[in-house]
Amino acid sequence: MKYIVTLICLIFTVKCFAQATDKDVIIKYKEYESFDLGNLEIKGSVLAPGDLSVRERERKIFAAGLYDRANFVPELEEDIRNLR
Amino acid sequence: MKVLFILLFQLLSVNAAASVNEARKIFNTSKDTHKNAHIAQELYKSKYYYSAVVFAKRHLIETSAYNEALENMIEKLILKTGTDNFTTLNDSILGKFPSPSLAFVHGIKLFKAKRYKEAKQRLSLVPIDHKFSPEARLTLGAIANINNDQKTMANEYKSCIEQADKRMNEAGDKDKLARYFKILSDTCRIHMARSFYENGKHELAMTTYDQIEKTSYRWPYILVERAWTAYQMKDYNRALGLGVTYKSPLLSSYFFPEAEVLSALSYYRLCLYDDALAKVEQFYEVYKPKADELKSLILPQKGSHKFFLELALAPISENEGKSPFIRQLLTQIRKKIIFNVDLVNYKRAINENKYVNSLKNDYFGRTIKAELQRMISFRTKKLNHFIKRLMFNFVNDIHAMSYEMFNIKLEIMSNKRELVYKNKQLIADRGRGSYENVSRKAEQQFYEFKGEFWADELGDYSFGLKSNCETVKRQATEITMRGGQ
Repeated sequence: MKYIVTLICLIFTVKCFAQATDKDVIIKYKEYESFDLGNLEIKGSVLAPGDLSVRERERKIFAAGLYDRANFVPELEEDIRNLR
Repeated sequence: MKVLFILLFQLLSVNAAASVNEARKIFNTSKDTHKNAHIAQELYKSKYYYSAVVFAKRHLIETSAYNEALENMIEKLILKTGTDNFTTLNDSILGKFPSPSLAFVHGIKLFKAKRYKEAKQRLSLVPIDHKFSPEARLTLGAIANINNDQKTMANEYKSCIEQADKRMNEAGDKDKLARYFKILSDTCRIHMARSFYENGKHELAMTTYDQIEKTSYRWPYILVERAWTAYQMKDYNRALGLGVTYKSPLLSSYFFPEAEVLSALSYYRLCLYDDALAKVEQFYEVYKPKADELKSLILPQKGSHKFFLELALAPISENEGKSPFIRQLLTQIRKKIIFNVDLVNYKRAINENKYVNSLKNDYFGRTIKAELQRMISFRTKKLNHFIKRLMFNFVNDIHAMSYEMFNIKLEIMSNKRELVYKNKQLIADRGRGSYENVSRKAEQQFYEFKGEFWADELGDYSFGLKSNCETVKRQATEITMRGGQ
């Protein structure tokens, strides 16, 4: 009896495969599709920077300061040197 | 009348000759330990001042005897022949006499050697009513300034102004003497202003600088200091206006590389980077080649003892084609007190030498002739060195300021790069003038500058540039994105 049931199942399976190959399925893709990224709603939590970014490198600051005048001591000494 | 003059002249000549003969007699016969002082007195009476200096110095070296007559003579000799005849004496000799005149000479010598403490001690011995009092007070003020002793400094400068003004009024018709004391009085005021500047009291410094009249000999030199004061007060427009004063035809002889750097710095502080860069480029393209030309002219003569003096004494027309800076520098040098005083002394020494050469050629005559020759040689070298030092200092200044200009350029490039990185830009490419941007006092009035320099306006110019330091976000360039298929 067990063998008879197994045989019937095999016969049915072969029948089904025979029917599927007989039908032609045509799949069509969309030619053009647009996405409105602005309205795209994303749910969830941010795990990484979302936009493309460049990490700023620490800038080198020039050591040489700009010229400044703290006093006029050299001129003061020159005045004394130029006395009569 | 003419006969009377000739008679008087001959009488004086006979009198002078008599004093020289007396000096010779003492030189040849006297065994007195103070004989050099007596010879000096006799030569002084006959107006052989430089010859008198020789024997006065011998007396100071050989003895310790000193009296009022000797003090009076030494004071007059310093006035007639200059301080430097006595500065060659060493410290122990200059310090061993109770003489205010020698204390003054010694004090100045010590100051030049930066021995301020000892200089202060010596100069304090010059009484307030002494002939050298204004100079002594000025130097004491400078020492207090260097030592940051504000109270002493203020007192000394105040006293210097009072004493110089008093002597200026006493000089009356003697133009040169009055002018000398006026310059001294102005110098004391300038020193006070410098001290205020150093201590951050810029408003007070500016007010003190403003007390110097435009007719003063010192005035053109302090324009750059006033510009610095305005710069420290963040009045960059005034600093630029003061700098541009040097462009007036009246001040064409005055060229200070530092004023150019200050103008570039003022533009930089107003964030007018293109104007600052234009100043930097102008410095490199105009002034530096001229300075190199001057350098090539003076460098081969650096060992000469008379080239620079001959250059200064030559007619202006002879120096026209040599270097553009030569004439400017020589004009500046001719206006310096010390140069004029030394030049007068040099000419006096040459003049005295003519008379000395006519003296009998005995041991006394030969001694004076040899000493006078040495003095003339020393004075020639001193004057030559003075001019040489100023010219080389000028060339060095140009090089030093060229380095500072380079720093400004670097800083501007750095700032421009920062703006690009931060996606920002200055609010305007180039801010232009407006009256609204001129800061002024209640008593100051406006006159628009129309390309002409008026003498009464010099030193009062101000630019009206708006600060361009505000940054705005750089306008984004439109980027079109096309979708792909």
